[in-house]
Parts: sequence; structure tokens; C-alpha cells
Amino acid sequence: MEHVIVSFPTNRLVYIDGEENGSTNEVLRVDAGTHVFELGNLENYRPASRKVEVKDTTALEPLEIKFFRKDD
Amino acid sequence: MRRALALLGCALLLSACAPFAPGNPPLAKYTPEAGYRFERLEAGDNTDELFVIVTFSGGGTRAAALAYGVLEALRDTTIQWRGRSVALLDEVDVISSISGGSFPAAYYALRGKQIFAEFPDKFLYRPVQSDLVRLAFLPANWLKLAAPAYGRSDLAAEFYDREVFGGATYADLIARNRRPFVILNATDMTTGAQFPFIQDQFDLLCSDLAGVPLARAAASSSAFPGGLTALTFQNYAGTCGYRQPAWVQLAFEDHGSRVNPRRTARAENRLSLAAEGPAKRPYLHLTDGGVADNIGLRGPLEAIASTNHPWSVLQRMNQKKIDRLVVIAVNAATNPATGRDQAADVPGLLDTLTTAANVPLDNYSFDTVELLSKTVNEFNADARLVEGCNKLSARKGAQCALDLPAPHRVDLYPIQVAFEYLASPEERTWFKNLPTTFELPRESIDKLRAVGRRLLNEDPQFQNLMKALNGKLAN
Repeated sequence: MEHVIVSFPTNRLVYIDGEENGSTNEVLRVDAGTHVFELGNLENYRPASRKVEVKDTTALEPLEIKFFRKDD
Repeated sequence: MRRALALLGCALLLSACAPFAPGNPPLAKYTPEAGYRFERLEAGDNTDELFVIVTFSGGGTRAAALAYGVLEALRDTTIQWRGRSVALLDEVDVISSISGGSFPAAYYALRGKQIFAEFPDKFLYRPVQSDLVRLAFLPANWLKLAAPAYGRSDLAAEFYDREVFGGATYADLIARNRRPFVILNATDMTTGAQFPFIQDQFDLLCSDLAGVPLARAAASSSAFPGGLTALTFQNYAGTCGYRQPAWVQLAFEDHGSRVNPRRTARAENRLSLAAEGPAKRPYLHLTDGGVADNIGLRGPLEAIASTNHPWSVLQRMNQKKIDRLVVIAVNAATNPATGRDQAADVPGLLDTLTTAANVPLDNYSFDTVELLSKTVNEFNADARLVEGCNKLSARKGAQCALDLPAPHRVDLYPIQVAFEYLASPEERTWFKNLPTTFELPRESIDKLRAVGRRLLNEDPQFQNLMKALNGKLAN
């Protein structure tokens, strides 16, 4: 089991591999491997998606996947 | 007499040329919003916060009776949930079944609580094995059996369709539209992978599960190798505009990095069935679900540990929809006594082959149950680790207090119903020597029903659950 935090300034839905999987800024569990992360709702964020290989994480040290506002 | 034999010979020869009649219709167009899928079923009063998965193992009528006894016990277990008194059975979300366990599972999916009035006489107390043998010896059936694409399991499927399931198909389960989502599992003979009877799996074949008789699914799930034959299904892959979920390509590309071989293997298995696979497979041959997993627990464990699953539990945990996860594994595994070591004789071919077939299966089942404990421990360890760090830091003073974010907390209750847990050695030995057959004496079936209930009630995790939910199994 791996752990990630998808970070964004506000609360957004998180999509992992096209499926809804909780919210930003929370610890989410995923299985090891390559996943595509996206955010829901308004598309005012960048990058549009992030493809990340998730491995060797722990609940104490989740992998942070950062998204930013487009205008930041 | 000679003329009759000649006629029979001709008829058999003609039968051998009979074309294959697929028991699974094609799917006109891939429609993810339709079909027998977990998220399509109406939850009603069944809440996700308390998520209950039940698995029924293989083991012929022994497994069916044990599973039925547990269903009766769940019906009679009352819990306090959301300010109401409800039967634990009404909170069951998913049932995953194998072989003999697939009969009560499928019947419950079809008839709901009517199972308690109908199933014992329709299946449990019926001499199904004798009926099947009698059918195979009927000359009229020899003609059917002479066809190369028709086997003894096809005959069994017709019998179950007529005598047990009354011609019902998955369209009836879709129309019924309520949980639990019942997954009958067979084994793909070529890949050795589990083959669940759900629309997500049939999408790969561009086949419409709605048109498949429940009896055919149950027959595939219980096609015990040797005694029964595999069932043939048509693969129409590439004809319905099917698109694999995004994770399949990602996991396939992970093959070289070996970051998660299990996920990659699941992706490759999907690709092997679908049009984009390396080798076209116009037909599939499905045998007993016990060949891939005799407990029926592997699919649920993948759903718990992966976000890439057709009914992912982990997704729901990430969405904070699940607060309590209950997994009840009903395992009718036996360990029959043998007189082999009482003599110096070299064991015979049959004994050796049976051992070679059964021992890996039993060992794998043991590992599967261990995997359930390992998965639960992993979840609990994660939660404890974060809580422990937060507590430790807080003890150093307010200025040191950490507020580490933790994954959504889920209380897990892995419950096991298995003869192994019977305290009395004599009783344990008696149950562990029951044969695997579709026919048992009425007294044995009654004992199995009763012991299923008792084992459930005695399980320490079940008792924890009852404590947490102020529940009780009625006497």
C-alpha cells in the first residue's frame, strides 16, 4: 500500500487514473505503480495531469503531488 | 439390433458435427452505465459506511450448506445502525463465491430472503450428484455429449437452469436492482486467472452478461476438474467499441520496472481477453473457480488494496465513504484422513494425481487467508503509526505537537468461519472428513448449517463487531 497527498491551494476532488478518489490535501491510499493524477471541477490548475510512479512511501511520508493555480 | 446400433452411430456422428451454440450473447455497444455492475445496483437502506463483504468457498454441497448456515445467521443477527435495528444480512454489500458456494450466492442474488423458504429443498437436500450421473447415462444425452463443444458441465448447467434457477439470467439480477453485488467466480483455463461473472469482465469479451443464465455461471464456477468439464464461452472482443480503463495501459507499461507485478499481471490478463491482446482468443474455456482461488477472497482483497478494480473498496475508503469494513470468509476446506502411511506400498497413480492437484490448492488457500490478515494488519499499522507519532510529539509539549495528516481511518473486522476453528478435535475431524460432492445426508447438511452459525458467533472479530454495533445473533 502506498500513500500520496495531492496538494492544491483549495479543496478539490482528486481523480486517480480517471476515477474519483477523495480530495486534495488529504492522505490517499493507492497501490504501487504508475498513476495519472488530475483534479476535478474548474480546470484552472496546472499541470492538466501528472503521471507519477508511486512507490516506497509510508503513511508518515506520503508522496506529495503538487498542482498549482493557473494564475500563480 | 444391428440397425439400431447403426442408427445410433449415425446420430452420434451427426452430433459430433453440431455447431457450437454460445451461452453468452454478444454486446451490441459497450455501455459502462448499464449491466451488472456494483455501482449500478441500488443501495437502498444498505449504507457504505458499514461495508460488508462475504466470501463463500468451494467444496460442493458441504460448502453450500455451510454458506447457507452463515446466511441464516446473518439474517438473525440484529445490529444498531444509524439509530435503527437492522439485520446484518441487509448490510451485506458484496458476496464473492466459488464452486459449491456459488449456488447459495446466486440463489440469494436472485430471490433475496426467499432463499430461506426455497433453497434447502431445491438444492441442499437434493441428490444433485445422482441426478447429474443419471442424466449423463440417458441415451438421449449421449447425442448432445458427442458434440465436441458440449460437455458434462453443459448438461449440468441445463439441469441447474431447469431445476434450481428456473431459467433466470443476469437480466433478472439487473431488474432486481439491489445489493449485494454477487460475484460468481470461475477460472480461465488458459491464463489460470480468476474469471468473475460481472459485466466489467464480459465487456472485455464484448459479451452481454444480461443474457447469460445464472445456471451457466454456477456451472462454470463449480466445474470440478475431472468430474465435470470446462464450459466454452464465445469471445466477441473488438465488436462493441470497448475501451480499457486508463490504469490498464499504465500497469502494462510498468512491466519492465516490476514496480507492482500483481497489478501488471491483472492488466495483462485483461489485455489477453480483449481485442488488443497479443493472441486472439475466439473462445474461452472456464473451469472450477477453485482452481484459481478456492476461498473466493482474492477478488475482494484486490478491491480492498487497489484503486484499479471494478468495484474498488479502496476508492471508497479514499472518499471517506467507508468507516467499518467487515470481511466474512466462509471456508469449507477439509483435510480428509488417509491411510496412505499405514502401509509401505507406493501410492497409486490416482492418489498421486489427486494429491498433486489438491495440495497446491490448499496451500494457496492458506496463503489467501493469511493475505487477508496481512492486509488488515497493514491498514491498522498505518493508522497506529500516525497516531503514535502524533501522541509522542504531543507529550514533548505543545510547541512540539505534530498534526500529521493520516489516511481516513477504517475499522476492519476480518471474520473467519472454518472447521479449523472448532475447539473439539473430534468435531473438527468429523467436519474435515466430509467429502466434496453434490449430495450429502440430511443430518450432515443440518450439522453444517448449525456449525456455520456457531462458528460465526464464536469468531473473536465477529464478537468485536457485535460489541461495536450493539448487535446480537438470536438463538
